[in-house]
Amino acid sequence: MNAVNAVTIILVEDDDGHARLVEKNLRRAGVSNPIIRCADGESAVQCLFGGGCAGHLLVLLDLNLPDMSGIDILQRLKTDSKLGRTPVVVLTTTEDTIEIQRCYDLGCNIYITKPVDYVSFANAVQQLGLFLAVVQIPETA
Amino acid sequence: LAELEQLVENHAKATDRDAPHQGLPGGRLALPILLAVGFLTLIALSLASIWLHERAQQDAERTIAAHALEAKLVSLLLNLRRAESSQRGYLLSGDPRFLLTHRLAIDDVQPALAGIEAALANNPVQREAFASMKPQVIEKLDELGETTRRYDAGDTAGAIALFKSGTGRQSMENISAIVERMQEEGERQLALESAQYQQTTRIVLVAELSGAALIVVVALMSLVLSRRLMRAMRTAQQELRDNNAALESTVAERTRYLLEANNEIQSFASIVSHDLRSPLVNIMGFTSELETFRKDIFERLAALRAQASGQDVVNDDAELGGEFDEAIEFIKGSIGKMDRLINAILVISREGRRNLRAEPVDMTALVRAVADEHMHRALEIGAEIIVEPLPAMTIDRLAIEQVFSNLLDNAVKFMRADVPGRIHVKGREMLFGVVYEVRDNGRGIDPRDAERVFELFRRSGMRDQPGEGIGLAHVRALVRRLGGSIRLASEPGQGCTFTVTLPKRWIDPSADWKQQ
Repeated sequence: MNAVNAVTIILVEDDDGHARLVEKNLRRAGVSNPIIRCADGESAVQCLFGGGCAGHLLVLLDLNLPDMSGIDILQRLKTDSKLGRTPVVVLTTTEDTIEIQRCYDLGCNIYITKPVDYVSFANAVQQLGLFLAVVQIPETA
Repeated sequence: LAELEQLVENHAKATDRDAPHQGLPGGRLALPILLAVGFLTLIALSLASIWLHERAQQDAERTIAAHALEAKLVSLLLNLRRAESSQRGYLLSGDPRFLLTHRLAIDDVQPALAGIEAALANNPVQREAFASMKPQVIEKLDELGETTRRYDAGDTAGAIALFKSGTGRQSMENISAIVERMQEEGERQLALESAQYQQTTRIVLVAELSGAALIVVVALMSLVLSRRLMRAMRTAQQELRDNNAALESTVAERTRYLLEANNEIQSFASIVSHDLRSPLVNIMGFTSELETFRKDIFERLAALRAQASGQDVVNDDAELGGEFDEAIEFIKGSIGKMDRLINAILVISREGRRNLRAEPVDMTALVRAVADEHMHRALEIGAEIIVEPLPAMTIDRLAIEQVFSNLLDNAVKFMRADVPGRIHVKGREMLFGVVYEVRDNGRGIDPRDAERVFELFRRSGMRDQPGEGIGLAHVRALVRRLGGSIRLASEPGQGCTFTVTLPKRWIDPSADWKQQ
């Protein structure tokens, strides 16, 4: 349990509402890990590559960011020597098949579409929380 | 597309307008007129030649006749003289050989007279002269005959006396004079005719020369005219070629522009729907959160009321809760609807961006398979779907499947309750492509809505069936993308017929400029 609690969740999400809803539902699922919110691509890059975050990381990544595409961050993360093994969960509104394929090609671990229907949305995020409680995550080198 | 048609029309107009000033004024008539003039001149020349030839022949005949007449006259005179001289010889010598010669000469005179008379049938002047000569000849012959008869009878003195009387000599002189006159007259007539003939020949020569000159002029004019026409034609052809080239490049440019615009609209639709979705998630999320709070709020309210426990406090929580729930339901319903609309835009924009792939499609099998998918729903409402054998075509399979699926779905949805439903799909091959018809006996569509039903989010008639007004819009977008068109013929209560016209072989219009 200690190992899991040590995991820091990096939430890259520009929409405050979405961020709040995700956090709420994660907490409801019993996730008590620290959550660091990055409201745009620049701060996410700062946090991830500028040494702002360390230890066991898990990234929840939105693709539609105001200043850059989430895909760029994904690509950079997965090709980075230190952060390459960090699990990335893409959590976005896009359900374009080509986009989904690209994300998995680039090494994304899970791709989740945010449903408009809140019950499904809440379920999805809560199940992700339950999943996080058991998943093993490597430490950042 | 309409823009392109306009372009082609303008081009056609421009070509029409340019055409007349290319040619010469009256150029269309000048050449036939020249040709006619040339032909008429040739005919006139030929006629003149024929006439002249006839005339020459007649003249020649007349000349021959005149010469023959002269010969006959000379022969007559000669015979008379021979008769005269042999008679004299006979009278002098009594040698009967002179008498024989004399008889032969006399015998030749009568036929010579007849011959001359026949030759003079058409010559009144000469005939008159001949008429005056004939009695003289007869008189001479009588004199000769009488002299010979007297000599033979032994009356030598009487014969010589008659000979001496000089009547014979006189007759002979008269005859000679008349013959001479006739010869002169003949020569005069010949000279006259010859002069006339020369005159005619000259006239005909002049006529023929001017005719020939006219023909040369006509030929030259025709040459110049046809050269000018040829030049005008070449210029027109060149202009046509230029115009066509310009038209083609314009069409290519417009096509590129339209395709770019289309792509832009599609990516716009895609971006907009994603961006619209994001706030929608929030609205839905926090509305649901509100619902959760509602429980807490009303529980807390009930607890507070219990604490206060005043009997005079009216418990209106249920009413309040009802209104709260109603508001929440409206918000959620609207969000659901908005989500469906956004999804529809996404589906259509995604379909628009999908790369189409042409392949041979057995349309009968495809439409029957689509019909089978709708059969369950059709059987529920007691409708039947009949698919006749359809002409095959080369097209994108998924797209055409979607078209028929939406059309059949639409037909099944809007059946009438009072009659057994019947949906009929048939097709035929035309010169310009393939035509498919989906006919139903359902509610039909008001003709005023015939265009509206193809618009996105628009519907016609009663709203008793689920749907967002997307199906037919999607069908039209697809059919257009496949290079075809769709038409609706309908009357309310009579059912409607959707006619889809498609090219037999679909060719990607963007393929051309993508390669460039």
